[in-house]
Amino acid sequence: MDALRFVFRRFFKRRQLGRELNDELASHIATETSLRVQEGESPEAARQAALRQFGNVGLVAEVTRDQWGSTWFEQALNDIRYASRAFARTPLFSSIVVITLALGIGSSTTIFSLLNGILLHALPFPESNRLVMLWELTPETRKPNVVNLGNFVAWRERNHSFESMAAFVSLPMNLLSDQGSQQVPGLAVTADFFSTLGTVPLLGRTFRPGEYWTDEPRDVVLSYGAWQHLFGGRADVIGKKISVNVSHREIIGVMPPGFGLPNNKAELYVPQGIVINEGRNYSVIARLRLGVNPGAAKAEMATLAANTAREKVNMDSGWSATAVPLLDQAVGSIRPILLMIFAVVGLVLLLACANVANLLMMRASGRAREISVRLALGASRHRIFCQLMIESLLLALLGGLLGAGLGGIALHLLKSWLPESLRIPRLSEVTLNLPVLLYSATVSVLSALIFGLVPALQSLRRNVTEDLHESTRSVTSGREVRRALVVTEIALALVLISAAGLMVRSLLRLMTVDPGFRAESVLTVRMMLLPVQNEEYRADAVREMLDRIRALPGVVADGSIGILPMEGTNSGTSYYRADRPEPTPNARPGGDVSIITPGYFEAMRIPMIQGRAFNAQDRVGSPLVAILNQSAARMLFPGEDAVGKRVKVQWTNNDVVEVVGIAADIRHSDVSTPPDPCLFMPNDQQPFPFSALVVRTGGDPAQLAKAIREQIRLVDADQGISKIEEMQQMVSDSIARPRLEAAVLTLFGVIALGLASIGLYGLVAFSVAQRVREIGIRVALGASRAGVFRMILGDGLRLTLIGGIVGLAVIIGLARFLHSLLFEIQPLDPLTLISGICLLTSVSLLACYVPARRATKADPAAVLREE
Amino acid sequence: MTGPARYQNRIEILQGTLDLLILQTLARGGQHGHGISLAIRARSGVLSVETGSLYPALHRLEKKGWLDSEWKISENNQRAKYYSLTKAGRKRLTAEKSRWRLLVQAVTGVLDPA
Repeated sequence: MDALRFVFRRFFKRRQLGRELNDELASHIATETSLRVQEGESPEAARQAALRQFGNVGLVAEVTRDQWGSTWFEQALNDIRYASRAFARTPLFSSIVVITLALGIGSSTTIFSLLNGILLHALPFPESNRLVMLWELTPETRKPNVVNLGNFVAWRERNHSFESMAAFVSLPMNLLSDQGSQQVPGLAVTADFFSTLGTVPLLGRTFRPGEYWTDEPRDVVLSYGAWQHLFGGRADVIGKKISVNVSHREIIGVMPPGFGLPNNKAELYVPQGIVINEGRNYSVIARLRLGVNPGAAKAEMATLAANTAREKVNMDSGWSATAVPLLDQAVGSIRPILLMIFAVVGLVLLLACANVANLLMMRASGRAREISVRLALGASRHRIFCQLMIESLLLALLGGLLGAGLGGIALHLLKSWLPESLRIPRLSEVTLNLPVLLYSATVSVLSALIFGLVPALQSLRRNVTEDLHESTRSVTSGREVRRALVVTEIALALVLISAAGLMVRSLLRLMTVDPGFRAESVLTVRMMLLPVQNEEYRADAVREMLDRIRALPGVVADGSIGILPMEGTNSGTSYYRADRPEPTPNARPGGDVSIITPGYFEAMRIPMIQGRAFNAQDRVGSPLVAILNQSAARMLFPGEDAVGKRVKVQWTNNDVVEVVGIAADIRHSDVSTPPDPCLFMPNDQQPFPFSALVVRTGGDPAQLAKAIREQIRLVDADQGISKIEEMQQMVSDSIARPRLEAAVLTLFGVIALGLASIGLYGLVAFSVAQRVREIGIRVALGASRAGVFRMILGDGLRLTLIGGIVGLAVIIGLARFLHSLLFEIQPLDPLTLISGICLLTSVSLLACYVPARRATKADPAAVLREE
Repeated sequence: MTGPARYQNRIEILQGTLDLLILQTLARGGQHGHGISLAIRARSGVLSVETGSLYPALHRLEKKGWLDSEWKISENNQRAKYYSLTKAGRKRLTAEKSRWRLLVQAVTGVLDPA
């Protein structure tokens, strides 16, 4: 402790210590002088004698100061100065190293900021780790399903795991303001919604917990965005009224910015009464009691569901239920791809480190004599080791600094460039914050350790006398390590380019999948139809819009469907043959249900296989009809003619309908999922609250958007539109994620291949430069130039071969993970792997060719003369 | 071991023993640099300590934590830096002493075989 204090004091008080030393030495002389005076010498003579006896004051002071040594800090400063000078002398080397590291650290920083913001950072609710989503689980397949309100009430009354729970449903809401009608995303929520989430409003109040609404109050809570947009952030909005779905609602509160469920951002929140029916339509959020873990809650949900399944056989038989932490729910779908990209950038960073390590080792070979001289002059190995590590650290920190800057820029670009269709949750919460910067710093230091340690240790393993001996020209130490590094680089590069190849092949397959309909030149217009007294009016409004739009010049055909392809399905509806005994509740077949208008199949170019499409005669009062897709026909009537048969559908009125036609299968939910059974019913007979108009045009569909809007406004001025989009765009958006995966892997695969080939080139070129004398002698002794060429090339290719084998082994190890990301392509797809290996071999050949050529140019006479 | 006559009453201090001598001198109480060199010379009769060895040694020992120092006024009214043994220094002295005795015994054994 004393020593530490001494060191500390010495560092900060060096000048004072110097003065003290001078005082000390002066007092020595003064004491001697006064002793001599006491013995009778004259003061002058005494002082002269004392000085003489003392010796050289300056020298004594200096050797004493040497004892203080320098602190590690001062040494480090010295080393940094020394290293900076060394780097400034070799600007090319330094910039290559720093840029390589900056690329590695920068990409890693960018991806980590995404990972941190999306996966790790807590959700913006108090004690958000206690929030869970509750789902029912479908019979047999056990897929999460939205919840029946009756079950919700049963869970709420019987559970022991939750403090509170609330149901909500996401609905577009028709907002009427000075800016005209528009449809914005909204949530209808039960009374406990806000208290479960725990966020307090910015202004006013939210719905009171525990309220059971039989008649929903005409209240509305605004999001921060809606408040800014509609009222410019004015403080006096509480108590004002706005028109939502053509009824006036009173604003009772405004939520703070950033409030919202991760996958259900809403502009308006309206009260939802609890009306129990047969439907499963609601999402449920719940807050765990203190000390209850999600696992226990999950177990209790299964028990609760088992009870309701016994009590309500018709409704719940076979169904179960589960709890999923809100964060998992929000980011579960994005997690695998983020982790994959993170792993990939980690590999690229390792490659960058390997290259830098290689460069440093080559540089170290050039500095062998410098280090040997320093060792010979008495520098301790420890000191030299520290100095080499400080050089590495300096490079890494420079790289890290540049990398963090690059990362910031990349993140900014990424946030504006990532397609909205990826629906990346929480992207707005991603920033380059302190934890991210700490991560970059840690990564920099770690990479310095990774790429600096081996070269530094290598440098110390020198035989001083041998190095200083003049004829020792080629320094081959570290050769094996460098070769191992290059082999690793080649293996990683093969893994990345193969993965990229697989992704690209998978994407190409996806892009050429025939969805069963023609998406080009189709414009879609989605809206929630305004609620009306008479349900039939909804169907009339849709018919009138379609008639008007069909009359527009440039429109080829039009129709409407409840839920568009690529936008989800009405899945899980039971329908079964009406000519057979009714099956038991958990043995009822079923699938999707689509509510369409007569023109839909024509507008989407979906062929009718058999029977007829719907027509204007299929309306209220006429016989109820339906169309099956091929899968549904096969499921219900295998080996029979379905047309003319009768089917019972558990839809709004549990009608029995007659099959009048069979339509071709299409891929409805997304292009990678094979068609499910689907039953179509006419909108005129089964009016649906949502409509998506599909308009086939002769030219550019976007040009018709304005005219279509106008026609809709003419039918009902209050009717807003939630989105106008080209069908083609929706299809391509549905494969945005595989496209992103393929693009990211290709980008990093190319970077990895580039880094590996630079590494290989550097290694071979360096070894040629060092063996130039040996090659000269070989040629002088009669080796053919072709033989030398083969020797050098063979040397490089051997490394490629070993790296390739290691890489293949890694791919085999990763096969299972890769499989989950691929569409119709096997992870060990021979075509991809062989192409990858060919690409790797060609690049390696190129990397070895240049130095091998140079080797054959070695002039034996010139080389041997140098001796 | 015959040296030139003028060195007869001044023997160079054996390398490594200066530390021991300083520690032993300070074991009898705090002292300044000049005092220490006087004490060593007086006690040994023949050993002289060069200032170029004494001060580096004092600073080295202080750095190692075996000595402490403070500025005081000396007996002849000079401001002087007084060194004193620390606890660690005292321990070190005991260890050095026994090492030295071992060495003397060993060297004597070689010089005067019994």
